[in-house]
Amino acid sequence: MQNFISGIAGFFTRLKSIHPLLPWGIALVVLLPLPQFTVNNYQVYLINFICIMIILATGLNIVKGFAGQVTVGHVALYAIGAYTSAVLSTKFGMPFYVNLPVSILAAMIAGVLVGIPSFRLEGAYLALATLAFAQAVEVYIRVTNYLGAASGIGGIKAPEFFGYSLRKYDDYFYLVMPIMLAAVYASFAILRSATGRAFMAVREDPISAASMGINVRRYKLIAFVMSAFYAGLAGSLYAHMLPGYVHPNNFTVIEMVTVLLMVVLGGIGNIWGGVIGAIIVTIVADITREYYFYQLLLFGAVIVGTVLFMPKGIGGIIDRYFVNRRFIAAREETAEVKRGIVGGSPDESSG
Amino acid sequence: MKKTLTCLVVAGLLASGSSWAGEIRIGATMRMISENGQKYGQMMQDEFDAINARGGINGNTVELILLNDECKSDKGVANANKFAYQDNVHLIIGSTCSSVSLPIVDVTAQAEVPQIIPHSTNDQITKKDSAWVFRVPISARYYKGVVAKYLHDKVGDQVAYVYASDAAAMSETQGIIQQMRDVYGVEPVYEAQTQEKEIDFRSHLLKIKDLEPDAIYFGGLQEPIARFLVQSYEVGIPASVVRAASSAASNAPVPKLAGDAVQGVFFSAAYSDSDTRPIAQLFNSYVRNRYGIGGVDHDFSQAYDLIRIVEIALGNADLSLEDDDLAADRTAIRDAIANVQGYEGLASGPISFCADSTPQCRDGNRTPVLIQYIEGGEDFKVGILDRVTMPIEFGL
Amino acid sequence: MLEVKGLNKSFGGLHAIRDVDFSLPEGEIRGLIGPNGSGKSTFFNLLSGVYPVDSGTVEVNGKDLTNAEPHEVAGAGIARTFQLLRMFTEMTVLENVMIGYHNHVQYGPLAGVFGFGRVGREEKIIRREMMEVLAFIGLEDFADIPASELSIGQRRLLALGRAMAMKPRLLLLDEPAAGLSPVNVDHIMAIIVRMKEKFGLTVVIVEHILKVVMETCDRVSVLDHGVKIAEGLPQEVRDDEAVVEAYLGREMDDEEVKRAIHA
Repeated sequence: MQNFISGIAGFFTRLKSIHPLLPWGIALVVLLPLPQFTVNNYQVYLINFICIMIILATGLNIVKGFAGQVTVGHVALYAIGAYTSAVLSTKFGMPFYVNLPVSILAAMIAGVLVGIPSFRLEGAYLALATLAFAQAVEVYIRVTNYLGAASGIGGIKAPEFFGYSLRKYDDYFYLVMPIMLAAVYASFAILRSATGRAFMAVREDPISAASMGINVRRYKLIAFVMSAFYAGLAGSLYAHMLPGYVHPNNFTVIEMVTVLLMVVLGGIGNIWGGVIGAIIVTIVADITREYYFYQLLLFGAVIVGTVLFMPKGIGGIIDRYFVNRRFIAAREETAEVKRGIVGGSPDESSG
Repeated sequence: MKKTLTCLVVAGLLASGSSWAGEIRIGATMRMISENGQKYGQMMQDEFDAINARGGINGNTVELILLNDECKSDKGVANANKFAYQDNVHLIIGSTCSSVSLPIVDVTAQAEVPQIIPHSTNDQITKKDSAWVFRVPISARYYKGVVAKYLHDKVGDQVAYVYASDAAAMSETQGIIQQMRDVYGVEPVYEAQTQEKEIDFRSHLLKIKDLEPDAIYFGGLQEPIARFLVQSYEVGIPASVVRAASSAASNAPVPKLAGDAVQGVFFSAAYSDSDTRPIAQLFNSYVRNRYGIGGVDHDFSQAYDLIRIVEIALGNADLSLEDDDLAADRTAIRDAIANVQGYEGLASGPISFCADSTPQCRDGNRTPVLIQYIEGGEDFKVGILDRVTMPIEFGL
Repeated sequence: MLEVKGLNKSFGGLHAIRDVDFSLPEGEIRGLIGPNGSGKSTFFNLLSGVYPVDSGTVEVNGKDLTNAEPHEVAGAGIARTFQLLRMFTEMTVLENVMIGYHNHVQYGPLAGVFGFGRVGREEKIIRREMMEVLAFIGLEDFADIPASELSIGQRRLLALGRAMAMKPRLLLLDEPAAGLSPVNVDHIMAIIVRMKEKFGLTVVIVEHILKVVMETCDRVSVLDHGVKIAEGLPQEVRDDEAVVEAYLGREMDDEEVKRAIHA
């Protein structure tokens, strides 16, 4: 298993050294014929839905996993993205390629609002503030007739390109899958640069990060706005997918917990983990569809169990193979030499 | 060990190979989070089991796949997609909530699977020009009309309205206000929407008390209705002011929670517990004994009528039930449901469908009853106030 | 280099820093000593912008940094370490050092998406440069392990490495040798001096271990109850009565005090 994983990793590193976009291009080519291999249309629907969930979870991972900001407002940003598209499509007859960027922009503006409390609040207090925001958005939609109130907004047009409508799930896949790949790539590209390191520093120790020259507020805000970008993107894609219907019931705390589960299970602060988490949770939710009595119980138990016994999630387990191997190697080679000069093991610390 | 494994594999194959000829597959997606919700689902399962025990329909057994959508459209849409494409069902039943039935109409229209709706009342469901959708319950457009007519004819035009933020209550209440305005030229004396999960309505009621209206109307789900009624007496609105409520008032928890405050309250429904017809009496005692339900409401009766209509239609449809003929079988079932005419069951009036994809053809039931509570509490009593068959075009 | 005038800071009723003037010429290593609770760490926190000041001014190279945000202070070329280390324990040793380099990164926060070629090239250069920093403090073989796996001595070194990566001109070290064995104290002090010479730094060291301060520092300032009570060459301060009193109390015999301090 260990050799297998590091074999894959080595392969990807080699591809990347040829051109940084090469692995992504290959992923695109490999995934494109996916609808041809599915047994039925429902599976294509599920795959499309998984793609949207991957985008949503990746966004949450940026702000929660990397920047360490405990937000519950993510689902509200998702709702804002979806409703902006819904309103633009049904009330103004705007096409998808207009709705998508406007929805993203709307979510990003809201992302600034969710982010501002993070300047002063931390942990559970920030969670409460963002929860209040999420509730406010949900209730506002529920009572606003213009937004369809409790009847929801239906009849959102499927995206149309050159007169060809992407109404069918098969067709929609060719829109949503490349966007998902691009979104995951972008998060990789950004989080593997100095920005990602700054996020992690803010998460680990804001005071230390600030004294090393990182503008903590700025990076918190960047994290919130980036995650809002992803939420708006996911929301718009969700709204435009058949049957083109949005309803406040789809944007409640339970949906938030589900996305949180994806990130926690996959591994907080691990992009692949979030992707894997989104896939697993969506599929498990589908398989357990008939055991609906126990579904939420199961989800809650998995969150608690993961946090207690597997705090770094599935992604953390995979990571550990690499880190441990490197670590052991580094120890074996140099520990002996170092011990003579610089105090040995951690337990020597006297305080 | 090897034997056990082989057995398991074979059993697994048998279990997974759900689609073979001679079996009519029906998928039902409903809100099954509340106690009553689960019982509707249970009744549906029991009824189809009973049909199978009687030898099925034309010798074919019915397999019901029952899923919960929690009144969430994304879950309902996923369920409908699963039914249509993965389980290859011949017919979809669902859903309970209008906000779930609405988007499913688009899914069934694209997948070309007949959909028959047990509970949702929202007008828009049948206005989507889908040839694949049928509605057993009474459309909201008829409900509003009958309440407005009664208020104007028998009570008075000074009406105060308060409604909760759920889809059904809003559309019902605003519909009545609209009817009063359009047909009788009357404006509401008071109109307010409550916040979601709000439980104290006294600020509204105190204002209403000063206005001295002829009637107060409350639109909402069962628990808010009960609270509203109790609080209306707490603030001192006299019993002479007529109290009316949305059709959710027919649900049994309302009289139990509200107690005496429920006396005289009327609402429109598709079915009354106090119906004296023998079929209704039989049904009431059946549901009471089997599911432990005191007051049998129209959600039960509509689910029952739906099953009977499905049974009739499936009996008349010419089905091959081979995998290759799925599309033809679905069309045949759709046409057979469209041919159901003048079905008389528990519903307060006959149910008829027709082939056009218009609301006139697809809103099958257009006879709401007005029901009044005579006594509240555990052993509540209701009486039929009025029964009106609305014109087929009404509210369009 | 550093000019502090009339600095004051109170926490509720506690006057933690009282009218402190502090002047530091370029290229000096200054020791800052004082008993527990004398206000040394508070003084550092005021300089580095962690706490806002009540009154007084802080100037670095003529630039007013009074009440500047911590990241602005860092941007002005001032690096500090923490007594409690404040490592990014979940990040690797190399990443810890790279955070120090943050302000010198040329590309923008979102450049990773479109300018991947440029970001890749620059990251490679940063990585090489940061490996040199690690080599300087002797942690190059631990580059890719999480900082949480390091020993206390290695963490103290890493704190220096992070500060060094910031390419500062003024270095504020808060008890850089706390919790180390005597051998390691000497080792880390040697590195500090080497760093100072190599990069032409100005350094302030807060330290409990007086011997370290006396040996390494050009001049020493002494704080007691938030007031600067002495300043001068190490031997002058060592013999100053007020200092002796502050550290050990009045009652003790003079000889004993001297022995304690010289130990």
